[in-house]
Amino acid sequence: MRDVYVAGIGITTFTRLEYPLVEIASYASMMALRDAGVTEVDQVYVANMGSPRVNHQTALASAVVDSLSLMPAGAAAIENGPASGAAAIKAGFQAVASGMDDVVLVAGAERMREVNNLEATDFVATLTHPLAEYIYGVTLPAHAAMFTRLYMERYGVTERHLAMVSVKNQNAALANEWAHLQQPITIEGILDSPEAMTNNPYVAEPLRFFDACPVSDGGAALVLVSEEKARELGRPLVRISGIGQATDTHAVFERDEPTDLLAVRKAANDAFAMAGITPQDVDVAELHDAFTILEIVESEEVGFFPRGEGHLALEKGETALGGTIPINVGGGLKGRGHPVGATGVAQAWEIVTQLRGDGGTRQVEGARVGFTCNFGGFGNNVVCCTFVRES
Amino acid sequence: MDRNIYAYVCRRCGASHYPFRMVCKECKQNDFFEFDTVPLPRTGSLVTWTRVHNLPAQYEVATLGIGIVELENGMRMLGQLEIDEPEIGMAVVGEVDVVRREPYDSYYGMVFRAA
Repeated sequence: MRDVYVAGIGITTFTRLEYPLVEIASYASMMALRDAGVTEVDQVYVANMGSPRVNHQTALASAVVDSLSLMPAGAAAIENGPASGAAAIKAGFQAVASGMDDVVLVAGAERMREVNNLEATDFVATLTHPLAEYIYGVTLPAHAAMFTRLYMERYGVTERHLAMVSVKNQNAALANEWAHLQQPITIEGILDSPEAMTNNPYVAEPLRFFDACPVSDGGAALVLVSEEKARELGRPLVRISGIGQATDTHAVFERDEPTDLLAVRKAANDAFAMAGITPQDVDVAELHDAFTILEIVESEEVGFFPRGEGHLALEKGETALGGTIPINVGGGLKGRGHPVGATGVAQAWEIVTQLRGDGGTRQVEGARVGFTCNFGGFGNNVVCCTFVRES
Repeated sequence: MDRNIYAYVCRRCGASHYPFRMVCKECKQNDFFEFDTVPLPRTGSLVTWTRVHNLPAQYEVATLGIGIVELENGMRMLGQLEIDEPEIGMAVVGEVDVVRREPYDSYYGMVFRAA
């Protein structure tokens, strides 16, 4: 297997965008292609979850290739729920590692704000089991809420811990010019003050409005290349050192232990094993905090902290910038936003930015090893990646 | 009319499945249609629950109770709750009723109440 490097990265502002989906994907892609210094690619993968349903457009990758005049490159769209982004990175990695392609563009894009919030919530809910979950009115916030209640009961996580994740990540987004949320928040405002219940109402008890990521439009892109091509292009050498992917039962209630996220555990283990490193070697991590509880649980399942102690590490500031393992320093899904198909690629964008030392005021000093966890379904399809900066 | 929701029992190893899948999760037998159907029990205890406030567009109610129930035979299922003050571990009893209405369709599922 050949080594695979990230030679270029690009991103759009995550917010409500008044551009067609193809232009959002293309804009991020152009930034990545310009960053890498390439005008031709062998293959394009476009990660997207909702274009047929939300934007009434199919065959998105063919449209993106045309928009970027990358013909006759191969192209395919990859739909893998909220883990579409990292699944596309995996496909691009396999294409280069196999020797089949030398230069692959991986883009992720979503335009969810084309429909109203109720329709967007319903569109994401279609990833649940059609007969055993969806028909009951289950939404992703409902799944996360039922999970949170069990976790609170078992490990002593409180609404205050969840609010601490909200505050950490939303305020971190202020240092990321591309992030959706650009408004500082405090524990006082979302939990303690008399107005907190108005500012921060329940979405699905015990989860509140500020426990959930915003519904965002946006795109992100990477250019993946072989080692020979990476050295020729002369960009900072960031190598994808490991990828792991795992699945779990479609219906959440079928899992033996309902507070386990076994697919997260296995995907992370496999990525670390492939890279030949341990969780303790990671300098900066992007976890999939679509809901605040997920950052806490994933920080345990990927091996940063022992089971049931993620919220204690959070209390001590270990997951903040300057802590032992800074998590979501660019805002995470909570602060940056969550255009579902783009998220896995945006996580890699943040890690490569950090490993290049381009993080500005949110830079993790001396970051050399990075980690991403892209969480699809409610934990039934997870892709984890490790990245390393080579000198 | 008496409606049921069914578990699927593998004819080779006896493992019960809900919801339906094509291949047994336990013995991986891949012969076609090798499951018997057995109605799911109606009684059980509440594993976890939520009250959803921002519902999909089809629901014209303010909030909707949803929970996971461990049935008396050890299997679990998700259902709607018509319970004012749900608590983890409480005994519940289910009835098959309409859980979602669309313009020309009604979908049936399990609705749990306090036992």
